[in-house]
Amino acid sequence: MKKMRRFFLFILCIPFVLPFSAEARVYLDINAPTFVQIPIVLSKWKSMDRTPPSLTSRVYEILKSDLTFSGFFRVIDVERLPLSLQKKEGIPTTVVLQEWMPSGGEILLAGDTALESDGLHLKVRFHLFDLVEQKHLVGKQYEGQIQNLRAMVHRISDEVVGQLTGEKGVHNTRIAFTQIQGEGKEIFVADFDGANSKQVTQNRSINLSPAWSPDGKKIAYTSYLRRNPDLYLVDMDGKNPQRFSDRPGVNASPSWSPDGKQIALMMAMEGKTEIVLMDNNGGNLKRLTRSHGNEASPSWSPDGKNIAFVSDRSGSPQIYVMTSDGNNVRRLSFDGSYNTNPSWSPKGDRIAFCARVGGQFHIVTMTPEGTGLQQLTSSGNNENPSWSPDGRYLAFSSTRTGGSKIFVMNANGFNQRPLTSSKGGESNSAWSRRFE
Amino acid sequence: MIKKSLSVVTLVLCCLALVLTGCPKKTVMKEEPSVSTADEAAAAAAAAERERVAKREAEERALREKELKARDEAAKKADAEKEFEKSLVAKKYPGIEGEVLESKMLKDITFDFDKYDIRPQDASILKENAALLMKYPNMKVQIEGHCDERGTIEYNLALGERRANSCKNYLISLGVPRDRISTISYGKERPLDPGHTEEAWAKNRRAHTVVLSK
Repeated sequence: MKKMRRFFLFILCIPFVLPFSAEARVYLDINAPTFVQIPIVLSKWKSMDRTPPSLTSRVYEILKSDLTFSGFFRVIDVERLPLSLQKKEGIPTTVVLQEWMPSGGEILLAGDTALESDGLHLKVRFHLFDLVEQKHLVGKQYEGQIQNLRAMVHRISDEVVGQLTGEKGVHNTRIAFTQIQGEGKEIFVADFDGANSKQVTQNRSINLSPAWSPDGKKIAYTSYLRRNPDLYLVDMDGKNPQRFSDRPGVNASPSWSPDGKQIALMMAMEGKTEIVLMDNNGGNLKRLTRSHGNEASPSWSPDGKNIAFVSDRSGSPQIYVMTSDGNNVRRLSFDGSYNTNPSWSPKGDRIAFCARVGGQFHIVTMTPEGTGLQQLTSSGNNENPSWSPDGRYLAFSSTRTGGSKIFVMNANGFNQRPLTSSKGGESNSAWSRRFE
Repeated sequence: MIKKSLSVVTLVLCCLALVLTGCPKKTVMKEEPSVSTADEAAAAAAAAERERVAKREAEERALREKELKARDEAAKKADAEKEFEKSLVAKKYPGIEGEVLESKMLKDITFDFDKYDIRPQDASILKENAALLMKYPNMKVQIEGHCDERGTIEYNLALGERRANSCKNYLISLGVPRDRISTISYGKERPLDPGHTEEAWAKNRRAHTVVLSK
């Protein structure tokens, strides 16, 4: 984390015009049930002075991948441009925007990169234009160390998404997940798109259910290290693993309260699992559920007032909700005989869960009242939905291509794609906050 | 001691002599004594004596047989113990502290999908396991609850916990002390059969007993 902080100090952002304000036009209403992707032109980026072209093309490729991954854009890259426009590089003036009309795009993203003479620092500049109205939207320059190139480019992508959709992107977020390693499962953390995958646990044990602390510094998870599923906390970089709940039996499925002060989890009591609450240091244990059924998978509402969870008190696992002191229990799911894994959207408006439909498991969302069900997946077994911090995407595991892989989709089910670098054997995805 | 037993033997012999010599006298005192009846009486006495000897021998034989049988049973029991001892195989789970022993004589039971109740046909298996546990009063075991791959990781952890505890409670009801049985839920993390068929799933929904210490 220290490293992270240092690196952000090194990224300077110099806006050329005010970043998007309240009056900024939203080009894409992503909350509409269906939307048409914005055609965006990604013109050739210019290498300033003696900047190696390979560096510029790395910036270009990351941008292209980010914008495609967002699901909001139809990217028109250099190769898809008319020949006359393919060679035009760098940032145009508004006066010549007219010549970009044949590109077929509505938005133009142009920029350049400049490597400083020390060979370690990089300046990346971008400008965004509205080709329909022929006007300049925003321009910014980022400066940082070359090793942070990906993060710098992700910030540009976030800015572009913010300008055009009203809320900035999630390109500087990470996804934690588990991957089968030998006979065990280890926890990994990768960028939102699967790049930069790094192993967090290295204990050869079974490690499950990673959950990010709201500040993004720690990951809670379950490990079988001591022949009992105990709960641990570890730094994002794998340092300082600490056991903090080790009651005999299951200590699993952690969910942080939005303020980060408490953790809800499932814990074995009297031979079955209950939902309990504890402080983030493991103290102050409070039992929330009392029924004859199994209770599992707590998930906090973003306002911290309610907790969704699974209970089979009715005879089959169903989604329930209660206040965070354990009162006012209500059943939310009634369709089907197997509804598990609730995950409350950070916007508070939907609860995603895993439902058994026709012998397969699918990701479904509903309102916190249990209405407006939408099935988002249709092939393979799909489990463990986890929302992006902006509530616009869901990560989940799917077996549609064989072994279990982490997939990401837009919250309406569009644009389903596996994380890059996925080898299979992955599950239990958890999306982090934004790192900025 | 020896003197005392000698005098006892002499006394017994004297009494015996008195009885043997006294008998004919008694018959003479009868109203119609005859030589033939005296012979018959002697023969009857001899037959009774033979019978007594035969009975004693039969009793001794039975005793010997009983002893042999007991010895045989003890040997069998020792063999059974040896068989159990022999059947124990040490097992180390990667990344999990400690080592356990597995035995084919501690049998698994299986469950229906999303169920944790013990089926009638599995109760007899648990009775056998309980009988074995009762023979080893110091043995501590752990019951592992397992699930098939269907359904979510976390709900399966809850289900595995419940399956292991169903078994534990059944063994307790059969007299196995509570403190000798611990439980662990592996959810769907350790399938016995890695396949994706109904057959594989049926095998994987199980409670498996391992020995923690003897």
